[in-house]
Amino acid sequence: MGKQLELLQGTLDMLILKAVSLGPLHGYGVLLRIQQISGEQLEIQQGSLYPALYRLEHQGLISSEWGESENNRKAKYYQLTAAGRRQLRSETEKWNKMADVIAGILGTTPEEV
Amino acid sequence: MSALARFRSWLRAMTRRPALEQEMHAELRFHIEAYAEDLMCGGMSREEAMRRARMELGGVEAQKEAMRASLGLRLWDEPWADLRYAVRMLRKSPGFTAIAVGSLALGIGANTTIFTVAKQVLLDRLNVPHPQDLRLFAWKSGEKPVVHSSWGQWDRLPSGQTTSTSFSYPVFQQLRRENHALEDLFAFKDAGRMTATVDGQAEVVQSEMVSGNYYQQLGVRTQLGRPIQPSDVVAPSSGAVVVISDGYWARRFGRSPNVIGKTIELNLIPVSIVGVNQPRFTGAKGAQSSPEVFLPFSMQPVILPKGKDSLLSDTKLWWVLIMGRIKPGVPEQSARVSLDVALNAAVRATMTIGKGEEIPHLILSDGSRGMNYTARQFAQPVYVLMSLVGLVLMLACANIANLLLARSAARQREMSVRLALGAGRWRILRQVLTESLLLSGLGGIAGFGLGYLGRNAIPRLLSNSWESTTFDGRFDWRVFAFTAGITLLTGLLFGIAPAWQATRTQVNSGLKDAALTITHRRKGYAGKAIVVFQVALSTLLVVGAGLFLRTLVNLVSVDPGFRPQHILLFDMQPPRTRYPAPKDVALHRRLEEELASVPGVDSVALSAVTLVANGTSTVDFLPSGQSRNSAKEQSVYINPVSERFFTTMSIPILAGRGFGESDTETSLKVAIVNRRLVRQFFPNTDPIGKTFDSNHQKFQVIGICADAKYDSLRHEVPPTFYPLYRQLLDAEYGMTYEIHTQMKPESIIPSLRKAIQSVDKDLPLIDVRTQEEQIDATMQQERIFANLSAGFGVLALTLACIGIYGVMAYTVARRINEIGIRMALGAQARQVLLMILRESSWLAIIGVAAGLGAALFLTRFLKAMLYGLQPNDPVTLIGAALLLFMVAILAGWGPAQRASRVEPMQALRHE
Repeated sequence: MGKQLELLQGTLDMLILKAVSLGPLHGYGVLLRIQQISGEQLEIQQGSLYPALYRLEHQGLISSEWGESENNRKAKYYQLTAAGRRQLRSETEKWNKMADVIAGILGTTPEEV
Repeated sequence: MSALARFRSWLRAMTRRPALEQEMHAELRFHIEAYAEDLMCGGMSREEAMRRARMELGGVEAQKEAMRASLGLRLWDEPWADLRYAVRMLRKSPGFTAIAVGSLALGIGANTTIFTVAKQVLLDRLNVPHPQDLRLFAWKSGEKPVVHSSWGQWDRLPSGQTTSTSFSYPVFQQLRRENHALEDLFAFKDAGRMTATVDGQAEVVQSEMVSGNYYQQLGVRTQLGRPIQPSDVVAPSSGAVVVISDGYWARRFGRSPNVIGKTIELNLIPVSIVGVNQPRFTGAKGAQSSPEVFLPFSMQPVILPKGKDSLLSDTKLWWVLIMGRIKPGVPEQSARVSLDVALNAAVRATMTIGKGEEIPHLILSDGSRGMNYTARQFAQPVYVLMSLVGLVLMLACANIANLLLARSAARQREMSVRLALGAGRWRILRQVLTESLLLSGLGGIAGFGLGYLGRNAIPRLLSNSWESTTFDGRFDWRVFAFTAGITLLTGLLFGIAPAWQATRTQVNSGLKDAALTITHRRKGYAGKAIVVFQVALSTLLVVGAGLFLRTLVNLVSVDPGFRPQHILLFDMQPPRTRYPAPKDVALHRRLEEELASVPGVDSVALSAVTLVANGTSTVDFLPSGQSRNSAKEQSVYINPVSERFFTTMSIPILAGRGFGESDTETSLKVAIVNRRLVRQFFPNTDPIGKTFDSNHQKFQVIGICADAKYDSLRHEVPPTFYPLYRQLLDAEYGMTYEIHTQMKPESIIPSLRKAIQSVDKDLPLIDVRTQEEQIDATMQQERIFANLSAGFGVLALTLACIGIYGVMAYTVARRINEIGIRMALGAQARQVLLMILRESSWLAIIGVAAGLGAALFLTRFLKAMLYGLQPNDPVTLIGAALLLFMVAILAGWGPAQRASRVEPMQALRHE
């Protein structure tokens, strides 16, 4: 395991939305999924996960219901709502644009100025 | 993302809170266990895995708190926690809580009680749809108005102008015809008392005469039957119908629906009941109480005849009140102008205008409160009462603020600990304010309860035993809003100082128990400033109480000039329909004889004006041979009486003779004059045998009587003459009977009633009371103010006492070390005692000085309510100052004594 990256401020919500967009997940599952798809490169503070989940649900971006986990235990599963899907799309667009712009700025060489 | 989604989520969280808590718990446990299992798969022991999992999550409770915050529950949870904590704190010190809540309850209760009265006097509107649209007609004129006779309100302004709300009936009719600016005009008249005979039993009721469109234009319906209609008023003497009030229906007819169509007699004229008013409808006169019967104007000539002709065609007497509703789209100013033109034309068409006489100008005044008579009569006393109870509440606030300050000093350690543990100052401020508001809330609830219990106390004080009350203690949302408002205000008022102090706590110094630190002096000052304020307020209240008490004492010790003991009074108003003049005089003579023969009656007298009952009757007066001098005041007070009036009332005849058997209806008219009149009209001459003209009649003076109070104990005895009523041949407005008896009123009244009914069974005794009760009634307001302000004064003194004692005890406790050192260095016990007493005296001196200063400024507003002394009465001011000073010394005595008994060794070991 190499050195893990710290999450950029304000991106946790977006990552949670992305994680649950791939299928319903319980809280621990969200944690695992993000770590897994990031190639174990992102470290998520467990302490901020549940408040974020509750906040998203409070905003109506995800919904939850109780279900059975892989090893037959009761767990709360989160899934994306329609509003959440829209939000994820716009957040993704915004992020990509921002990333392009920032990459462009950072990639500037003296000749291009 | 929408606000709606958030609100729905919040509401769900709020409503299923226990389930939510459980879910949060289960979810976090699942997380820990799932994570721990994964860790165990990596070879970790079970305990180690669980420990690691918990640690990485970072505290289950903290997590839950953050999750709740995500749901927006914190805004609810924190105040709730504050409140629970506040309840616990108050429970821990029941003594403090009891004093605080008790004094607040008294303050708020008193304010609530006074406000219910004030609301009625100053705010209540007629209970009709859209009362704010109603305009009451009035007029204003210069010094010589064309109107000479009126029946109703008539005010002479200081500027010499005259205003009135009365109009003649023909003027009303013409105005109504000409009016296009307002909705249809309607008229009414408080027609006073009438004798109502129901099933052979006579009693007295209040009446209102109304125009045919009155109910229509007011927009009110009856709860039973029909209202008075335009068709009832087609011709004079037509429309023998009456609508009765809900109260009368309940009292007299037991709410029987059969009352519709029933025939009763009003002033012995049969009329049939056609309707019953809604319970809350009080007529157009005022919003306080309803007349019992409403009848059409057309019945005036039969039921209430005045003079020979019908008042409905009388152009001279102005007596009718007019109202109209504003029309949408017509500006009030232009409505007034056009109606003023109409009034001018109506006056010209109906009256002859004398030389220099002025035609009145129309005024449209606010009609939403009817004639607003009560506001004019009671506004000032109500404002004074409101100020008094306001001061009491402020005093209670100051007291609690003081107690809270002392407590917050004691709680400094607690605050420091909270601050040290990371509580924000705002959070602490909120906590302290929550406690104050909880206190004020409890006081407010208790005060509202007290106010509710006492809601009838003031109306009862304002009424007397023989008349129905004008007020009732009706509670409505405005009273509740007022109480809630002052409760919140007081909570903030007394909570702010302690809250401010709490947030200024220094974590460092607060945690050290040796509290003799820099903050000490400043705290002392805050408490002392409040005590000075308390003393000042108390001084003010005590001065007020002194002024009112002395006023009452002065009034009670006034010599009325007659002997009111053992005199029983009642009024008699024989209906004009059965007893037109001069039959009424004959009837009174007959009754007088019957009553005189009743066993137990010493003597019987009659008078047209009841003594000391605030009633006056004035006439012109011109000694024969003197010319009419318009510049000089030529009117005197008149009181037609019977032969035995002077002996019955023990008013001595100083010269000449009293009335005798030789003075009859046909002999020369004779009069007895009082000394005041002699002084004014017959200086340096003997008036006996002289004659004078009054009201187009000639009288001869046969005697001079001593000065006796006429309308009020407050007023100087006016120049008065007493003619013999039987010589005037008319007793239109009824007579008051004075019965001198040694028997108790309740044991002699039945035989008096029987004697009267043996003459005419339809004659009711009106307003039976003793002369002493009558005099007391005129002093009612003074009595209320003396009682209430004395009560407030005692309360103020008690609170000031508590305040001074508290602050001095606190000071002594803080300075115990210093005092110990002083005594160890040789200070005598007496010196220490004086030192502490000097301190409390200074508080008192500053407070009393401030209070006296305020009193000198404020008491001038009471001038009109005082009698026999000036607002800056030195006896009262000095007395109040001395009293406050003594109380201050007394309150400081205990702590001072404790300080002087300090054992130096003990005090030094105190820390």
